[in-house]
Amino acid sequence: MQIYLWLKAIHIAAATTWITGLVVAGLAVASRLVRAGIQTAQDPYLLEAVRRWDRFFTLPAMLLTWALGIAMAMQAGWFSSHWLMIKLTIVGALLALHGVLSGTLRRLARGADRPAAILLYAAPATILGIVMIAILVVTKPF
Amino acid sequence: MIVPSNAAEELGQLRRMRLVSVVEGCTLLILVFVAVPIKHLGGHAIATTIIGPIHGMAFLLYIWTLIQTVSGADFTRPDVVRMVVAAFFPFGAFLNERALRRRQALLASG
Repeated sequence: MQIYLWLKAIHIAAATTWITGLVVAGLAVASRLVRAGIQTAQDPYLLEAVRRWDRFFTLPAMLLTWALGIAMAMQAGWFSSHWLMIKLTIVGALLALHGVLSGTLRRLARGADRPAAILLYAAPATILGIVMIAILVVTKPF
Repeated sequence: MIVPSNAAEELGQLRRMRLVSVVEGCTLLILVFVAVPIKHLGGHAIATTIIGPIHGMAFLLYIWTLIQTVSGADFTRPDVVRMVVAAFFPFGAFLNERALRRRQALLASG
């Protein structure tokens, strides 16, 4: 099998893991906002589980997604394509969102009460980002 | 106890951030002072082909860790602006590493 197909398959698997982890982290943070300070005894355990997942799965998946994506783009000579530049901008925004969510999880684990209200939209923004990326990658419009 | 000690957690985060800063700075040093001369003076593009992506990944990890660090702690706004701006300048990671070392020492002594 061509090496490109292997790169593509592992890239998609890593991206799926990354995006799933982002959505879970986004929902964990948003749950603190929705319940407006009401906490249950299980909260610290759930938060810690999400933090561990973020550290051991989501972060490595993000790095693998970037590494294989760049390798594929170099192999295919896509770096002059406008669609790829737009995709990289969206992926960069997702990287930043991931950093903010991961930091917020750390802050919540240390006892902070409420995260920033805008993080209520973190999970939907992640889905919007991945939908835009899917359209760009499949149609390659520019 | 599920919730870790705040000071230990913060010190661990600062150590990770410093490590990533040093790695990012070192890969840039290798790229600029080793790989690029080998390419342009020796005619071997393989050096930049290898080190370039390694530095790119180190830079991404650095940016991610920086965002994670400032999002999860009580950094002042000027501190955040200085660290983010430094991140986009060559060797700014070393400046950030020094600032983080000072913060770590302050936290450890407190």
